[in-house]
Amino acid sequence: MTEPVSISLTVNGATHDLVVAPRKTLADVLREDLGLTGTHVGCEHGVCGACTILIDGAPARACLTYAVQMEGHELTTIEAVAKSGELTPLQRALTQVHGLQCGFCTPGIVLTFEVWLRDNPDPDEAGVREALSGNICRCTGYQNIVKAVLAAAAEMRRGAGA
Amino acid sequence: MKPASFTYHRPGCLDDALGLMATLGVTAKPLAGGQSLGPMMNMRLARPEHVVDLNDLLELDFVRVTDAVVEIGALTRHHRVATDPEIARALPLLAKAAQSIGHYAIRQRGTLGGSLVHADPAAQYALVAITLDAEVVIRSARTTRVVPAVDFVQSIMTVDLAPDELVTAVRFRRLAPAEGWGFEMFSRRHGDFALVSVALTLRRDGHGAISNLRLGVGGVGPVPERLAVVERDACRLAADVGTIAVLARQAADNVTPEDDPQVPANYRRELVEAVTARALTAAVLKTESPS
Amino acid sequence: MTAAPFTQIGRALPRKEDARFLTGAGRYLDDIAPKGTLTASFVRAPHAHARILAINAEAARALPGVVGVFTGKDLALWTTNLRLAPPIEGLHPVEMTTLPIDKVRFHGDPVAVVVARDRYLAEDAAELVDVTYEVLPAITSAAAALAEGAALVDDALPDNLVSHQSFSAGNPLARQTEAARVVETQFDLHRHTHAPMETRGCLADWDRGREHLIMHIGTQAPHPMRSALASRLGLSENQVTVISPDIGGAFGQKIALYREELTVAALARHLARPVHWREDRLENLTAASHARETRCVTRAAVRADGRILGLELKLTEDFGAYCFYPANYMARVIAMILTGPYKIADYAFDVKVVLTNKCGNGPMRAPMAITSWVMEGTIDAVAHALRLDPLDVRRVNALGPADLPYRMATGELLEDITPLETLEAVVAAVGVPEFRARQKAALAEGRLLGLGFCSVVESTTYGSGFYKAAGIPGSGHEAAWVRIEPSGAVNASVGLMGSGQGYESPLAQAVAEGLGVMAEDVNVHMGNTDVAPYGMGSRGGRGATAGGGTLFLCAQKARDKVLAIAAGMLQINDTEGLRLFEGRVELMRGGAWEPTGLTLADVAKCAYLDPTNLPEGVDPGLDASLTYDPPPMTYSNATHACEIEIDRATGALRFDRYLVAEDCGTVLNPIVVQGQQQGAVAMGLSGALYEEVIYDATGQNLTATLADYTIASAVEMPNIELIAMHTPNRRTPAGIKGMAEGGIMGAIGVIAGAVNDALVPLGVSAQAMPFTPPRLRALIRSAGSGAPDIPRKERP
Repeated sequence: MTEPVSISLTVNGATHDLVVAPRKTLADVLREDLGLTGTHVGCEHGVCGACTILIDGAPARACLTYAVQMEGHELTTIEAVAKSGELTPLQRALTQVHGLQCGFCTPGIVLTFEVWLRDNPDPDEAGVREALSGNICRCTGYQNIVKAVLAAAAEMRRGAGA
Repeated sequence: MKPASFTYHRPGCLDDALGLMATLGVTAKPLAGGQSLGPMMNMRLARPEHVVDLNDLLELDFVRVTDAVVEIGALTRHHRVATDPEIARALPLLAKAAQSIGHYAIRQRGTLGGSLVHADPAAQYALVAITLDAEVVIRSARTTRVVPAVDFVQSIMTVDLAPDELVTAVRFRRLAPAEGWGFEMFSRRHGDFALVSVALTLRRDGHGAISNLRLGVGGVGPVPERLAVVERDACRLAADVGTIAVLARQAADNVTPEDDPQVPANYRRELVEAVTARALTAAVLKTESPS
Repeated sequence: MTAAPFTQIGRALPRKEDARFLTGAGRYLDDIAPKGTLTASFVRAPHAHARILAINAEAARALPGVVGVFTGKDLALWTTNLRLAPPIEGLHPVEMTTLPIDKVRFHGDPVAVVVARDRYLAEDAAELVDVTYEVLPAITSAAAALAEGAALVDDALPDNLVSHQSFSAGNPLARQTEAARVVETQFDLHRHTHAPMETRGCLADWDRGREHLIMHIGTQAPHPMRSALASRLGLSENQVTVISPDIGGAFGQKIALYREELTVAALARHLARPVHWREDRLENLTAASHARETRCVTRAAVRADGRILGLELKLTEDFGAYCFYPANYMARVIAMILTGPYKIADYAFDVKVVLTNKCGNGPMRAPMAITSWVMEGTIDAVAHALRLDPLDVRRVNALGPADLPYRMATGELLEDITPLETLEAVVAAVGVPEFRARQKAALAEGRLLGLGFCSVVESTTYGSGFYKAAGIPGSGHEAAWVRIEPSGAVNASVGLMGSGQGYESPLAQAVAEGLGVMAEDVNVHMGNTDVAPYGMGSRGGRGATAGGGTLFLCAQKARDKVLAIAAGMLQINDTEGLRLFEGRVELMRGGAWEPTGLTLADVAKCAYLDPTNLPEGVDPGLDASLTYDPPPMTYSNATHACEIEIDRATGALRFDRYLVAEDCGTVLNPIVVQGQQQGAVAMGLSGALYEEVIYDATGQNLTATLADYTIASAVEMPNIELIAMHTPNRRTPAGIKGMAEGGIMGAIGVIAGAVNDALVPLGVSAQAMPFTPPRLRALIRSAGSGAPDIPRKERP
């Protein structure tokens, strides 16, 4: 129906019952209906990567997904990345080496690399840059983001080895 | 930039999806990964009355490798095609092509079938499918048919698919162990659509000369094309630097790119030469040290 | 030179903003949503130039959920026109209505606005607004704008030449007759747009009872924004509060009050409901503001050794359809500071700014971006013409320590800059002989390597003196307050507003240094006009000098009062030998600082809660405020070097190395400064190589999406090596100079230098950006075969 439909969304481990129009994007529903404003809308055509969230643990553009599609899937947003307020190694590295400026693109980058680093625990710079190419940052020139991802990978390897 | 209203359908299995497509016909648009349809709908360049969401059709998310064929379900995501170990062994050309699609997050959602049906002239899968003479498996509530990729892709964003049909799988011939391959592309930025892309396979005969060249070029016309003249003339040429240069030049001479003020035809032709040379070099190297 | 012994200034303190940005807790405009907020969506012109014959909004108004559809005629009832008429010779006064009434002037011009319950419905309705147009001829280039009988972009002007100024010092023409050579060089910089990750937007909330407008808007200059809103809405400045939340990038696009924002404010008042507007990306790329489209031609009269005897500049800027800033504003700065690091006494410029049917220009990070390319490109052309080493030509013209302070031909004063030092620093770091050997060996294999240098003298802080001297309206002063609360907590405020630079730590450091506390204990409040003092906001590179400097001085003023009270509490006669250090009052005894047992909190408690114990003549409370007008101009300087390779077959360009030696004086926070340097270089390179706003011959914008307006990704951008130098400015508080735009100037100039160095063996040179692979390939192809077949700028 074009009319609003009832759906149940599981976001950051909690279930929410909502009534949404089928055309309403996941990004808008997360922000407006659930108040999860850490998901930023930068282009609405899938290029900039600011709205990247996790669908069943895989990064995806929330602007190219409709909320109605997400019933039965596990969604993760930036609000759930730091567990009980403690920053992850990636988040810590980003602040330590100044890998963010205006912060608008940052949530999408954090979510992308929280997953990517799991699959690529010992990355090289070219690999990080390739993975980062789906997120546009207008402030940093990317250099310190790359540095932060490499530093976080090293930190996580040390953590895993300990 | 918000989509127009639509009615949403979420079939749980292929038969239900085909039933919906049969009922809704031209008013419906199947939605797979949404990485191309999503932007078009947000910009209201596409405004289907009905959206049929295929993402629950898990039976279309598969990779089956036999002695001769690699069959991949239409709902298989690019990321899986790019990283699946079986595809890497049986059809590394396709894996490399998939790795070059868009970006990491885009590859998590985008699907083989979706890309093929969208039929962007510069897209990777159509090029590989046409180069390898792949077959497209199409189903409707009425029938199942199998169409050669070269016939399936008809023009820019136009494919041989009736309103009630869905692509369910693509069948690729697997590469022989002794077969060399190359996939190269040139784009403005990493992850952009190619200005020119080249996919090719070749073998070497008993004397080390080239045999069985298959050469496809994307980005130069409405659909990816095979360069039959080059394929034919390559036969029995020595697999050396000189031959590569000659064949690359010949490839450039055999395309007729459109003139675009940003990308003039002569430039695109030069790219065909450069990119073909790289792909040929890669393929020849692979036949020298098979691994 | 060594920096003063600061303890808070210069600390590599991580940014205070980061924790909230990393966890999704930043609060940007769209994150504020009062109950009952309506949404606006604009109907935009599909034509570059057309008369509006009729607007029929009946179908749109009938749509459920639509509150109203409004046009330029409605807005004219509620707002006044924008009239820009500064008394500047050669600048035509211009005036515009809030929304166009008679005609549209570019593809994307707003013609009507829909207000609805939500954005989806608003867009449904906007599609139904039926506008009848009579299409007029579109002016899509500066040349067409200046052609005889050209259609008028602004019907109220006599022609499209909206601004024209000339200047001459010495006698450049006479120098040409004396010169060994006269070298003419052309530079074409293309149209850019700012493209901040967060587009423009606002939330206007009219308090009907108090008759007060609260405008939530990401703006770099909250108080000037308030003045403009009040004036154009017919309100008093005490009826408007501007609140700027976190901003997702601005780069100059969020300074002026734009038509959409004024419309939304007027609608909130008219409807007595909160109204929200978020520009979408298509609107941002086509209709927010553009920048940079400028052609420069220089004529340098030179001696045989490369010494420039005289220089002429002809500049033409394509300004687009509307003036949100005086049209001479950006171009004039380029002309004023062109000679930069070089001794050139005989200098003339002729600067033309023309209107076209494109989106209006605004200052984009480094509005004078082209400057260093033009000067350094002229130097490289001189070297090439005379067969001299480009470095030697730089050296023979450069300002050395003995030449400073130096009064430029335009009257600008340069002092405490180090152009020769930064040049030699990068020359040494690059290893030029080794590079030349690599370049020669590569060329033997047919490969094209290039090395470029670009020295930059960056105008950073524009004091009121500069504006007045340059005939640009505005002030360059800044205002601050510093308040120690009864608990000893330190609050401070300044009239700047950050848009991602990370002001909170470095400005806290300036306060902490001046006051004598830890930067971690200082909170700097910005962006709310009811809280912050009236300041000029963030623009250019003024943040550190104007903002940090004013806070530093203001904190010193507060410190003086703290110490006066402390002296009384300690029963000593004066504050000599007392200091506040990390929040503790210390006393100099026998050459060493010793604790007194008093803390800032003790002093604050006395000041607020026990004022009868204050020393005579000291008023209760601990609250200082101060304004400060920086010198007419401060300058930082840098030299960029980069090594590239151009693929002969495809024209693709690859970075092998990029480095910058930069002298930006005293640095408040080196982490933040490095981030600005890297970010500016990347923005410059992305613009020079990848980005371009493209209009076709009918004025249709062809680059409305981020798939078409192509910003470089992480794969395309190089790592940037930084060599930091710190010569303090003797006239500013703490020796601060400011920075953050020069990286763009240097990047644009150095990439041109490197490309042309690579092309030298082919006998061709690149003069028009962006340097895309098709363009570079066309130059390579043209080598030895006559005229280059350069791709046309416009699609048919």
